[in-house]
Amino acid sequence: MSDITVDVAVIGAGPAGIAAGVGAKKAGAERVVIFERDWDLGGILQQCIHPGFGLHIFGEELTGPEYMHRWISKAREVGVEFLMNSMVFHMEDDGSFWIMNPSLGIKKVTPKSVVLAMGCRERPLGALGIPGTRPAGIYTAGTAQRLVNMEGYMPGNKVVILGSGDVGLIMARRMIWEGAEVLGVYEIMPWPGGLRRNIAQCLDDYGIPFHLEETVVEIHGKDRLEGVTVAKVDMNRKPIVGTERLVGCDTLLLAVGLIPENELSRMAGVAINPVTQGPYVNELLQTSKPKIFAAGNVVIVYDLVDWVSKEGERAGKNAALFAAGELKEPARKIKILGGSNVRLYSPQWLSGQADATIYMRVAQPIEKRCKVIVEPGAYEKQLRYARPGEMSEVQIKAEYVQSLGDVAEILVDIREA
Amino acid sequence: MHLRLCLSPFLNCFTGYKVFGGDFVSTRYYDVIVIGGGIVGSTVARELSRYDIKVAVLDKASELPSGASRANSGMVHAGYDDEPGSIKAQFCPKGNLIYKNLREELDFTLNEVGSYVCALDKDEIAHLELLLEQGKKNGVPSVEIISGDELRSREPNASREIIAALWAPTGCTINNFEAVLAFMDNAQQNGVELFLETEMLDVILSQDKRQVVGVKTNRGMFLSPIVINAAGVHSDEVARMVGDDSFIIHPRRGDYFISDKYVGNLVKSFFFACPSEAGKGITVASTTDHNLLMGPTSIFQVDRNKTATTAEGLDQVIEGARRLIPPIPINMAITTFAGLRADPDTGDFVIGILKKPHGFVNVAGIKSPGFTSAPAIAQHIVERMKNELKDLVEFKPNRKFVPERRHIPRFAYLSMEERSDLAKEDPRYAQIVCRCESVTEGQVIEAIRRGARTVAAVKIWTRAGAGRCQGGFCGPRVIDILARELNIPREEVTRHGGHSRMLVGKTKEYWFREGRL
Amino acid sequence: MFIERRIICTSCPVGCFMIVTEENGKIVSISGSSCPRGEEYAKVELTDPRRVFASTIRVEGGVLSVCPVRSKEPVPKDKIFDITKAVARVKIKAPIEIGQIIIKNVCDTSVDIVASRSLPAKQSADTVAQGG
Repeated sequence: MSDITVDVAVIGAGPAGIAAGVGAKKAGAERVVIFERDWDLGGILQQCIHPGFGLHIFGEELTGPEYMHRWISKAREVGVEFLMNSMVFHMEDDGSFWIMNPSLGIKKVTPKSVVLAMGCRERPLGALGIPGTRPAGIYTAGTAQRLVNMEGYMPGNKVVILGSGDVGLIMARRMIWEGAEVLGVYEIMPWPGGLRRNIAQCLDDYGIPFHLEETVVEIHGKDRLEGVTVAKVDMNRKPIVGTERLVGCDTLLLAVGLIPENELSRMAGVAINPVTQGPYVNELLQTSKPKIFAAGNVVIVYDLVDWVSKEGERAGKNAALFAAGELKEPARKIKILGGSNVRLYSPQWLSGQADATIYMRVAQPIEKRCKVIVEPGAYEKQLRYARPGEMSEVQIKAEYVQSLGDVAEILVDIREA
Repeated sequence: MHLRLCLSPFLNCFTGYKVFGGDFVSTRYYDVIVIGGGIVGSTVARELSRYDIKVAVLDKASELPSGASRANSGMVHAGYDDEPGSIKAQFCPKGNLIYKNLREELDFTLNEVGSYVCALDKDEIAHLELLLEQGKKNGVPSVEIISGDELRSREPNASREIIAALWAPTGCTINNFEAVLAFMDNAQQNGVELFLETEMLDVILSQDKRQVVGVKTNRGMFLSPIVINAAGVHSDEVARMVGDDSFIIHPRRGDYFISDKYVGNLVKSFFFACPSEAGKGITVASTTDHNLLMGPTSIFQVDRNKTATTAEGLDQVIEGARRLIPPIPINMAITTFAGLRADPDTGDFVIGILKKPHGFVNVAGIKSPGFTSAPAIAQHIVERMKNELKDLVEFKPNRKFVPERRHIPRFAYLSMEERSDLAKEDPRYAQIVCRCESVTEGQVIEAIRRGARTVAAVKIWTRAGAGRCQGGFCGPRVIDILARELNIPREEVTRHGGHSRMLVGKTKEYWFREGRL
Repeated sequence: MFIERRIICTSCPVGCFMIVTEENGKIVSISGSSCPRGEEYAKVELTDPRRVFASTIRVEGGVLSVCPVRSKEPVPKDKIFDITKAVARVKIKAPIEIGQIIIKNVCDTSVDIVASRSLPAKQSADTVAQGG
């Protein structure tokens, strides 16, 4: 079992990983290898065949495969190497890891630095604790998307969608175009989980009912799904007795949230933030293990792939600097605290070594002018609105961090203007 | 072969019998038929495979284990729960020992983690003392009562409310899927035939009703002078087919939660709340695969086929689990399930060989600690059959009996060297299928070779789909491999047999139907 | 006569909520948009609503049995299902190049359906085994 030695190893060839490869190469790293478990590059974006990606980076709306095609071409141009069909299945706390590959067998990889870019997974039915039977016909929206868009198979004909995450909304329209019936989308919260335009173009265009503050309370059917009971929920998200209705369907798609995929990070002893369920990172996207960086949905679930790519490039660049011994030990460590209306945010630490972008999601929507505030001091950014389904971001200059003197913590919040 | 002789009058009255569903299998002849392939059926089948006789196991499910052997706490009990002198008390500690002895031979996963019964108040301490006394009488080794502080020094996440605990070091966690598969797999290697999706419809008796002659199923007739009733929650229904109404099963449902592995290390040993009228109380344990298992509830229900969880049940489980181990976080669940225990009204196992009809054997009502007791019960009943039923079948030793079998390689638990060797031997063992549980294509193919036909069977054999994403990643891949290996269209792949198809067709097909184009 | 219409702009992820006021079929005001694209969208949405169409086509001998396609430009909304049917009929041989025209001027919209990824052919041995 000879080792594979690389300068920067990237785990995952989705949008974050490929951008990290590009970022590392651009920053001068010699051997940059992306390890991908699939036979194909591009990760989940290959199954996102609808347009809506790349407006911020390319100035046009591309489909997922088109968006990834541009990035893959860029990665090839700058000399990123890829190792396909290579599953990373174990990681040591020094950042070295083990891969398995049908032609190479089992190999150990010892990199100078690593970028974690494994993305996220979907919350399964079991996580919701919905009572009832466990028949065939219950899929996460992403699995259904893979079946339909990459394998060419239909998971069902009469569909109910639970949750209004973007993948679920997109799949509602996709299933309609393949002749399925979509009976409704049920969202337990009082606001949609996905983008408003997807409500408009995926549900409204096809007259698909969208039920806010309703959820599935029971599953029926022994072999194949036969129906679900839906009910309205109260302010505590508990079903209201007497509001139950039976909806006959053969398929339930779940779009109830994404969870960063951090099994390897945990194996390597990287500290995980229980709120984001991703690693704690600083503005360099460095984790609690200095050699290990992380980017994209493995850190925090983003709303737009453009941000994932940008953060991937940032992580790749810093991983390259670390591999070259050019990244100084952080002189300071300032903790970022989230305000009362900030549910999730990343990074959680600032070292003052580079300009930072803080990404956040609000807990409660604000459908009017509002602002991001950074305390203490100078920062304030105007927003036209803030919605839980979308991220807000604020740029922070390295100089600001350096000017903070003895301050150990800063606070970010989003408030009404 | 007097069997065939005595059958002829009987067969006549069944001409024109219609077979429901499934492929018709022409009448088959056996020496022994076992109804049910749960832990009881599989341990009995393996015991029978030591003899040179023809044995068939019939199960209506599309994969084993189903029923209570599939959905339970995965525990091998120490044996202090049962009233001294009861049949349960006789078999439970013996079964505990047999599992430990067979672990290597049959290659299933068993961890000797020990168990605690926790007392939260004085009354419950009194109960611990009773259990201690019973344990001693039942011959359970090294059982003792420890203080709450002692418990917490061993298990730091145990609740501060626990004031004492009964410690039984011989309690084990077991991979109950692997155990059932191990016994049945070995039985099959030694000649036992297994028929899945084969539902027993009636027991066939001789005209004078004195003699068993076989069973009628949805797949035709299986004729045999001996029929063993190991039908679990349905065992009273089977007994009534031969006129035995000595017991009634009251199905008692247990709801469970399984957590993500990152909280699997909150406990080391098996935790029980103090037992009540309803059962052994909510347990918390780290499974053999390092998930946290929480449950069961104990809810009587009438329907014997319904294993649906309920909201109340699941709430009870979480509440009960947190009472023992408060740091259990929310949002840690990856799946929920429910099992139906076969609770007999007699209060004890129903084990016996009927006088009338001759050839009918009950191994019924094997409720908790049924899983633990099963291998001991199997040894006992087969020993008795050798004497009491020797007029029906000659129990000559099977000279080709091989007691060892190996499970499919558990890639996730192999050393790097072992993994490397395996991958070199067969590159399909280097192709990941299930990322959460590190299951390779090689394992899935081997499971199919050993009889897995459904997505659920592949999960039971390999754990593909049993992890954090619950098949989100591996689901399409498993469907693909099943279709390829079984040489069937992907649309015909089912989740668990019957009408449980995973896919309904190809994309675009809709537009070609009914002249839409 | 004034008519007020509420529409959600789909031209970018912001999804502006716009109110368009019409008088005798003519737009007199558009409010709520936060960029010029929104106004443009509103005008088109009221007169000639369009959407980008994205689906798959069946492929013979490819590493995947379907290949994603899209309309190069937005197509009239009311033609979506006609286009769906047109796309359903197509089956082409791998390899496929990204951008390759699959259907020219689909349903007389003067918009082409193009492949949105490259799809290599399956290894030849496999192709034989599959009967393709």
